[in-house]
Amino acid sequence: MTERISKYQRFKMMNPIIQFFKFIYLSIKIMFIVAGGHGGTRKVN
Amino acid sequence: MSKIVILGAGISGHVAAAHLRRKLPKDHEVVVVSPNSNYQWIPSNIWVGIGRMKSEKILFPLAPLYKKKNIGFKQAKAISFFPEGDKEEQKPYVLSEYVAGDKKGQLEKVTYDYLINATGPKLNFEATEGLIPGTNKTYSVCTYTHADHAWEGLNALIQEMKKGKKAKILIGTGHAKSTCQGAAFEYILNVEHELHRHNVRDMAEITWVANEYKLGDFGMDGMLLSYGGMTMKSSEMVEMVFEDRGIKWITGAAVNKIEDGVAHYENLEGEYKTESYDFAMLIPSFSGHGFKAYDKNENDITEKLFRGFMIVDADYTVKPYEDWSVQDWPETYQNPTYKNIFAPGIAFAPPHSISKPRKSKNGTDITPAPPRTGMPSGITAKIVADNIIDSIKNGKESLNHKGSMGNMGAACIASAGFGMTKGSGVSITTFPIVPDYEKYPKTQGRQLSKTFGEIGLAGHWLKLALHYAFIYKAKMKPFWWLIPE
Ligand SMILES: Cc1cc2nc3c(=O)[nH]c(=O)nc-3n(C[C@H](O)[C@H](O)[C@H](O)COP(=O)(O)OP(=O)(O)OC[C@H]3O[C@@H](n4cnc5c(N)ncnc54)[C@H](O)[C@@H]3O)c2cc1C
Repeated sequence: MTERISKYQRFKMMNPIIQFFKFIYLSIKIMFIVAGGHGGTRKVN
Repeated sequence: MSKIVILGAGISGHVAAAHLRRKLPKDHEVVVVSPNSNYQWIPSNIWVGIGRMKSEKILFPLAPLYKKKNIGFKQAKAISFFPEGDKEEQKPYVLSEYVAGDKKGQLEKVTYDYLINATGPKLNFEATEGLIPGTNKTYSVCTYTHADHAWEGLNALIQEMKKGKKAKILIGTGHAKSTCQGAAFEYILNVEHELHRHNVRDMAEITWVANEYKLGDFGMDGMLLSYGGMTMKSSEMVEMVFEDRGIKWITGAAVNKIEDGVAHYENLEGEYKTESYDFAMLIPSFSGHGFKAYDKNENDITEKLFRGFMIVDADYTVKPYEDWSVQDWPETYQNPTYKNIFAPGIAFAPPHSISKPRKSKNGTDITPAPPRTGMPSGITAKIVADNIIDSIKNGKESLNHKGSMGNMGAACIASAGFGMTKGSGVSITTFPIVPDYEKYPKTQGRQLSKTFGEIGLAGHWLKLALHYAFIYKAKMKPFWWLIPE
């Protein structure tokens, strides 16, 4: 096993308070991407 | 009055049925034909396969819900398509066979005005010799029954490891053209996490084997994503996670034969190798269901409807990778010959792969098939439903709702370990799913502000929240339609 994720990074990844805010942030961002719409790609003459 | 028949009650079929029923007046008929009596939220099978969630939590029976919502339900499987009817039946129909109840074994001509083929993939285990879930120490998590078996197998191995057995675990793809690497990725991280929880991590060597050219390809040609303020390749991100967890990897591998505890594969170098294991979970290749189609004189017209999966408004012209474009991908999922037939979700035939096709030195095609995950499956189903609703209401064909995978985002919240405080998730979003190299030439075809990765506990909560939200939505509880696909 190679420690590619530092102890500090891991602390941030697993800290429930930091992660609570991250959860809110991610939920909104994902909602924005998904609800942000979709459409065609072809030009209509 | 129109009759809309939906084949399949998976993510796309169920979404289509729910929207059609909600938006169409009651005098129009919505009928679902599906062999499984239950709806299942497939993404949570990962947790069933590690014994952290009971399969009952991810499924519910369809018949009572459909009865309550005035959606017809036939527990049957489609066999063949008659889009012009036949000599006796004027209307187009699908020949279906009941699989349960009093009518079991009976055939019925299920007529329709509009048909939605949402039958998803056939899990094509037969394409890999010896890859049979529950035998040869290989398992699958593609259905809840498979996932239950996988947990039985894994749990038995964990018990042996507790007694001192050293074990090898192999997880990934079981065919040169498998897709759904994301599911295998989630499973390997969850298994690794569970071994820690059972205090046997030291006893296991865990290996990833996949047909992807590089880690993090996910059948989408990999991606450049923003991660922690940096721009990183998905291969680098996955490599970081695997190294950190002590997971080895073999990429560019076409698994072609399974024997008891031995996986045979060919790599891009053309070498034939083997990997032994005590427990394996390998995703099979996905194929179409082998449906046949006939015209009204009962001549075989299968090639008008199917090329493996169902033909839709994609550009299927065979051309080199360099000439592929997002415009090749379908927008309305309508069959070009029979315009009252649609195929959302995994049921439509993609124009080509998304990842660059590669051959081994022996000429074996080792290319991941394009993934169609839950989100695009739901979105494409809603597009199809909305176009049918408009067409019925306007009295003429209406195709205003469009959604190409080249102009659609997706979120892949990959669980990396279960637990309210100890869990983890790798959250990846990508926009668009199919890279648009013309629009985003400098960022490998993706919009960086919408293509990002995050690792941490929040990812686990998010995946759990999605589990509850989507089951709530699938049960069509109050205001379900406010939850996006
Ligand atoms: C283990 C696993 C984990 C996954 N995790 C995620 C995830 O985290 N996020 C995500 O976005 N996606 C995930 N996916 C992908 C997601 O599950 C699929 O994209 C989605 O299920 C596709 O929906 P579908 O309706 O097209 O097909 P399916 O869900 O496969 O539904 C097909 C339906 O057709 C029915 N059917 C089959 N044959 C017939 C027939 N002859 N006649 C009538 N009906 C028939 C089936 O019974 C089923 O009801 C995962 C997939 C797997 C296997």
